[in-house]
Amino acid sequence: MNIKEYIRWLGKIIRKPDSFEAIKRISIFADLNSFQLHELNNYLHTRHYKAGEVIFEQGYPLDAIFFIIAGEVRVSGKLSGSDPITLRENDFIGIIDMFHEGTRSSTAMAVTEVNALAISRSDLTNLIARDKDMGLKILGAICRYLSSLNFSKSV
Amino acid sequence: MNFTKVIFYLLLIAAIVSGVYFYSRVFGYIAMAMVLSYLLDPLVSWVERRHLPRWMAVLCVYLGILGVLAWLSLRFVPDLVRQGRGLIDIMQTNTPGGENLLVTLPFLRDVYQLLLNLDKQLPNLDLAAQFLTFLASAQTFLSTLPQTILDNYSEIIGAVSYVGTVPLISFFLLKDKVLFRKAMVAAASNRYFELVIIFMNKIDETVGRYMRAMLLEVIAVSIMVSIALTAIGVPNAVLIGVVAGVANIIPYFGPFMGAGVAILTVLVNGSPSIMILWVALTMYLVQVIDNNIVYPVVVGTTINMHPLIVLLTVLAGGWFGGILWMLISVPLVYICYSMLRVIYVNLREFRLL
Repeated sequence: MNIKEYIRWLGKIIRKPDSFEAIKRISIFADLNSFQLHELNNYLHTRHYKAGEVIFEQGYPLDAIFFIIAGEVRVSGKLSGSDPITLRENDFIGIIDMFHEGTRSSTAMAVTEVNALAISRSDLTNLIARDKDMGLKILGAICRYLSSLNFSKSV
Repeated sequence: MNFTKVIFYLLLIAAIVSGVYFYSRVFGYIAMAMVLSYLLDPLVSWVERRHLPRWMAVLCVYLGILGVLAWLSLRFVPDLVRQGRGLIDIMQTNTPGGENLLVTLPFLRDVYQLLLNLDKQLPNLDLAAQFLTFLASAQTFLSTLPQTILDNYSEIIGAVSYVGTVPLISFFLLKDKVLFRKAMVAAASNRYFELVIIFMNKIDETVGRYMRAMLLEVIAVSIMVSIALTAIGVPNAVLIGVVAGVANIIPYFGPFMGAGVAILTVLVNGSPSIMILWVALTMYLVQVIDNNIVYPVVVGTTINMHPLIVLLTVLAGGWFGGILWMLISVPLVYICYSMLRVIYVNLREFRLL
């Protein structure tokens, strides 16, 4: 075994698997640096929903913001108008409501099996209050996300 | 419910009961460690945000606190010991002639003279003799205090092991705070997930903020009283300051206790009587500053407890476990009350009540 191979082998052992991979795939967190991802990860909770399970119901208090990692979620209520909308991988629920609503304006149900990450809105606002740079990056990413949307469909 | 389920739940209950019994001795340690973690958490998080691993942040905070404690003990403990020793010397001396040394204290001598005069005017009253007997028994109690301490060495060793163990438990609570929080949330089912998060955040916020505010209050009042009393020339100012600061934990009545200790010290030391007025005025001034500047800034919201409830709580605490419980009973009751309120409000909002 020559030196180069030995170093590569050592590097493979030392390098940890990327623990923030799932978070980085969420569009609004794509710009965060590794320390900000670490801070965010401290407050993110992994949730798993079976097909047909209710994630939240209209009229209940709003605290958690959900980021869909895998699966499909059907959201119906005031915002979606008459037709329910379906949210998929890398979409998120609740981030727009979190600033002005105390209660859920819609009901969300898992259509397929759903893996999601959730964060409490008070945790997220605390994080942003402490780290303004993180807030700016998230704001930028949300704006990008909104401008990429077809505006007939609301989030 | 099938047979397997019944067996499982029976086993679970047995495990919980035996677990509670087995660990019952360490619940006190865990409670203390939790209080310590609550007090230190903002500091640790602040250090962590300077891009340090969390365990190192906890170590830094610990070392910092050790440093401050070392400096404080070098700077102030000799003062405290010197100030305390004068009193202890008086109380421990057994004079050979049977004469009670406590009577030589200026204030007590005045009282003794007064009683003697009364006795002269009203025969058969014998108040002065009774006063002497009372002083003698007080002195006996105080002089046997060191012996009592020796006799109860096991409790004292317990206290020392407390001091060693609590920071260690608290170290892990601080370091793995995120891990514990996540584990608790993960244990909640999807239906109650948001409710659990809200509970944890609200309780964390209320309890943590209250405890930290309490600590800052104690420190602020101790420093203010020490400085103010030193300025007007009261002996044992630092000792009184610390006592007044700690007594300040009790709302409404604590400040009076602090002032009482200060005035008593002035009396015992035989300073001119006008000093009492100055001390009372100073303590009042400190309270005015505390209530109007320090408290609103540090604590923000006031404890909404009726004075009568405070009084009853302090009394109950005293009956339950002595002076220590008198001090912690009000914060404890307040914390339990606010936790219950958070739980009630949110159960209502989630339509579970």
